[in-house]
Amino acid sequence: MTLDGPSADATRAPGPDGDGRGSRAMRVRVGPASHLDGDPTVVVAVSPTGVLVDGTPVGLDLTSVDGRHAILHVAEPAVSGVSGAAGNAGSERAVRLTLGALERRTEDAVGRREVVVDGWRVLVEVEPEARAALRERARRGRSERVAGGPVDVRAIIPGRIVALNVASGDDVTAGQQLLVLEAMKMQNELRAPRDGTIDRVAVAVGEDVEVGDLLLVIR
Amino acid sequence: MTPPFSRVLVANRGEIALRIIRACHELGMEAVAVYSDADASAAHVRAADLAVRIGPPPSAESYLRADAIVDAAVATGAEAVHPGYGFLAERASFAEAVERAGLVFVGPDHRSIAALGDKLAARRVATEAGVPVVPGTLEPVLVDRPDRVAGIVDEAERIGFPLLVKAAAGGGGRGIRRVERVEDLPAALLAGSREAAAGFGDGTVYLEHEVLPARHIEVQLLGDRTGAVVALGERDCSIQRRHQKLIEESPAPGLSEADRRELHGLAVRVASAAGLRNAATAEFLRDREGRFWFLEVNTRLQVEHGVTELVSGLDIVAEQFGLAAGRPLSDRAREAAAGAATPTSHAIEVRLSAEDPARAFAPAPGRVTAWVMPGGPGVRVDTAIEAGERVSPDYDPLVAKLMVHAADRPAAIARLRRALDEVEIGGIQTTLPFHRYVVRDPAFIDGELSTGWVDEHWDGPAERSAAVGMALRAAGLAALDEATPTPPAVPAATPAPAASPDGRSSWRAEGRRAATDRWPG
Repeated sequence: MTLDGPSADATRAPGPDGDGRGSRAMRVRVGPASHLDGDPTVVVAVSPTGVLVDGTPVGLDLTSVDGRHAILHVAEPAVSGVSGAAGNAGSERAVRLTLGALERRTEDAVGRREVVVDGWRVLVEVEPEARAALRERARRGRSERVAGGPVDVRAIIPGRIVALNVASGDDVTAGQQLLVLEAMKMQNELRAPRDGTIDRVAVAVGEDVEVGDLLLVIR
Repeated sequence: MTPPFSRVLVANRGEIALRIIRACHELGMEAVAVYSDADASAAHVRAADLAVRIGPPPSAESYLRADAIVDAAVATGAEAVHPGYGFLAERASFAEAVERAGLVFVGPDHRSIAALGDKLAARRVATEAGVPVVPGTLEPVLVDRPDRVAGIVDEAERIGFPLLVKAAAGGGGRGIRRVERVEDLPAALLAGSREAAAGFGDGTVYLEHEVLPARHIEVQLLGDRTGAVVALGERDCSIQRRHQKLIEESPAPGLSEADRRELHGLAVRVASAAGLRNAATAEFLRDREGRFWFLEVNTRLQVEHGVTELVSGLDIVAEQFGLAAGRPLSDRAREAAAGAATPTSHAIEVRLSAEDPARAFAPAPGRVTAWVMPGGPGVRVDTAIEAGERVSPDYDPLVAKLMVHAADRPAAIARLRRALDEVEIGGIQTTLPFHRYVVRDPAFIDGELSTGWVDEHWDGPAERSAAVGMALRAAGLAALDEATPTPPAVPAATPAPAASPDGRSSWRAEGRRAATDRWPG
């Protein structure tokens, strides 16, 4: 069986839908509401000999308890440099977690779900690796043409707009305060992700917004 | 015993409203709930015997509307009003309005609320009672008098840096600014005063030395109309961030019986001097040398009253009702007070809040999709949340208080660890990972507590990133498991995995077998 890992031959495009090959490797990343920089993307694949993460064999297995609860068995690496097969087998850690219902966007085969590990709520996006690679190639071509294209600034927490510092047509620099969103009596300043000009302001002071609502557009 | 009242209005929402309604029902009293449009179907509304809508979701238009709440109490024939904590609980004008309407306010007299609610006035009361207060000013700092700047700077240097600029009308950890250097003081005073004026309607600020390292230890008090005041025991609430408590326990670890008697005595002295009736809490800092410094008095039921209830065996809310009805301190309360310096069990509470502990505990409201709370021996959960409920950005992010009770501190920590492992919450991020970390931390287990604990011991982003790695791997494996190949498109020659007897795709079985083979057991 071949694997579509990150090091896989780029010319080996997946076959027609349903040949199953494209789904042997999945690209997984933190979902669109991720608020922390540096969240990784990993490629998880299976082969007849086991699981590979980013092309490296790992001791990893997922046991489903029911539709929602699962246990991830993680093999701790064996101590290297010790001779003999029996003495350094390493140990296994069982991580209990819950998997939320899978929501799938039909148009792009990206699945989204909530995974809770040790009380941390992580929204993940899962996409067959082959499709992700295809989509990326297409986007690379496009983004070269529209580098600096419009950026939608959206709410990452629900709350109320209590201050608006910019108006349509204003020039802004990266890091400049755009607006203040109040949630639970805390004031959250929202800053410009990059230099540009305010194309449109979609909200007004006093307005309530939900997660994902468009706040303004920078071009 | 006859119920203290026949009908009581509960001027609050969430877990504390439910807590008070439960006490009403146990005492044989009817409870009237009030609610905003955001809470029309909330647990406290369903638990009450009557409910009155008081306005739209924002607090200022609902739970902070003293007039609407007093009207609701009068209209429903309630005889008393319990304010809970937060909202109107420490507004002397509200207590006065309740009394003017001919009803009983369940809490201290409005004059004590006014006297102790002004932090500066409380510091003067304590000083006059001979109780040491945290070094600082006893009079307001005149921020708008340029001719006084030199005097203020001298005063600040005498107090010593770092110091805190505090709002006299502040509370609940709000209205506090930290100043490290003398040159930052004038700006901090102006900003602090402006903030206080905007937030509390009173721009009065004062200076207080920042005691570091310090433990935050407070004493639960009850007083009756004869002037008798007793201490029911102390709570250590040192684990805080930005002056907001995260974990509270009772008794405070590491105190001797003599320490306890001294501390409880100081608290009773301040409360007696202020003419305290009903329930209040005196807060102190304990420095490295073991000295206690008076901080402030909260003239209301505290969020963390439950840990004292578990250790003392007393229902503090029930006691409040008896005291409000004019009864003397109960025998039970006096017995609890007599044993307060020699506690025989231990209780710990963690506050589960809709906050992201990887992002400096920023609010994380949203809809709760999964909600499993722990049970079993020695576990108490005070909450008004259930699956499907929306945690509104309009209110406090506290979603549950998880308390454990055991014979001693090590047993309580073991029980808390077990209880936290049973918690399952989906749909919102909460402080659960922080609490799971704390109960496994050697410093916490050793009782090394200080108000700087969170900054010194907690690295939220690092803890989260380990969990993210696991979540991504699990999601990848689950997706592969679910992406079953469509049979017609798989040629017979392809070494496609056959379904295993348990109905799973066989790669899962292979993967499992491979893992089992390599890591037996």
